[in-house]
Amino acid sequence: MTVASQVKQSLASLKSIHAGLQELALVSQDEEAQRTFHEAMMMTEEIIADIKNRIGKMEREEPQYHGK
Amino acid sequence: MPVWLEVAIRSISIIIGLFIITRILGKKPLSKLSFFEYIIGITVGDIAGTLSMDLGISLEEGITSILIWSLFPVLTSRISLRNKKFRNFVEGNSTIFIKNGKILEENLKREKYTVDELLEQLRKKDVFRVADVEFAVLEPNGDLNILLKREKQPLTVGDVFPNPPSEKEPQTVIMDGMILDEPLATMGLSRGWLKQQLDKQGVAIENVFLAQVDSYGQLTLDLYDDKIQISEPQEKKLLLAAIKKVQADFELFALQTESKEAKELYQTNAEKMQTLLQKVEPFLRN
Repeated sequence: MTVASQVKQSLASLKSIHAGLQELALVSQDEEAQRTFHEAMMMTEEIIADIKNRIGKMEREEPQYHGK
Repeated sequence: MPVWLEVAIRSISIIIGLFIITRILGKKPLSKLSFFEYIIGITVGDIAGTLSMDLGISLEEGITSILIWSLFPVLTSRISLRNKKFRNFVEGNSTIFIKNGKILEENLKREKYTVDELLEQLRKKDVFRVADVEFAVLEPNGDLNILLKREKQPLTVGDVFPNPPSEKEPQTVIMDGMILDEPLATMGLSRGWLKQQLDKQGVAIENVFLAQVDSYGQLTLDLYDDKIQISEPQEKKLLLAAIKKVQADFELFALQTESKEAKELYQTNAEKMQTLLQKVEPFLRN
């Protein structure tokens, strides 16, 4: 497995974490829990953006990774 | 009118009357009644019994007596709700038996309590050493309540995890195979959500005897058929594991990459994941 595909896998996991946190933020009854899950969700969004950038760069620098 | 018919009519109307009176008197359980209220209860019962059997007593006299006896505690409880002094007078004061870990012999004597009785009461509360007790008080209804010394108090969640996440009451959303819409709405959930969750577990609504949702939206089920195995909710644990995995991955990438820029990016994101993990872990732990 190439590095690029590993990073892409992490990105997929991150997206699923994002969805999970979002669901918990909606479903939780306690306000503090809601807030914590929401903040965590926002953090994952930042990280996802970062990683997406990185993947874009990798694909530009080493076109053989493109789409893999 | 035959005698038996009169007795029957009297009895039935007195039963109904007593039922209404006990409803007015409220929800206090029998054990929580003061001695005074207890005696009044017995007297009212006795009057009612005599009144229904003894045709020699006229109904007016009997009912007047019952009303006075049963409405008097209503009156006293109404007044004592407002007035602390009156309350102390009617319901009595509590007496301190142990203070700062020392037995107050004077108070024991005043309540006519022997040391044996005190020890017995302490043992009822699972305390066998007087030295373990910081404070003990005899309540007006005769119960002995104790505060253990700090080092002898049972361990609580707050002792182990400071600031544990709070947990609200779970709601019952399915009973006897029927969806209860009101609790579902209180949780801000819909029938569609419930069906989706049941599908995930592969269970039909008709087979569910009882289903509850906790305050983190996790559904727990009890089925009619106890042979069917259902898994416990795993979402929170899986999410926690996924967060840990991604965090570890980033650290790995940071070590593997040769580009300095990429190394920094992975490192900062690994740190971000770490703070995220610390934030949500208390909520996802159970």
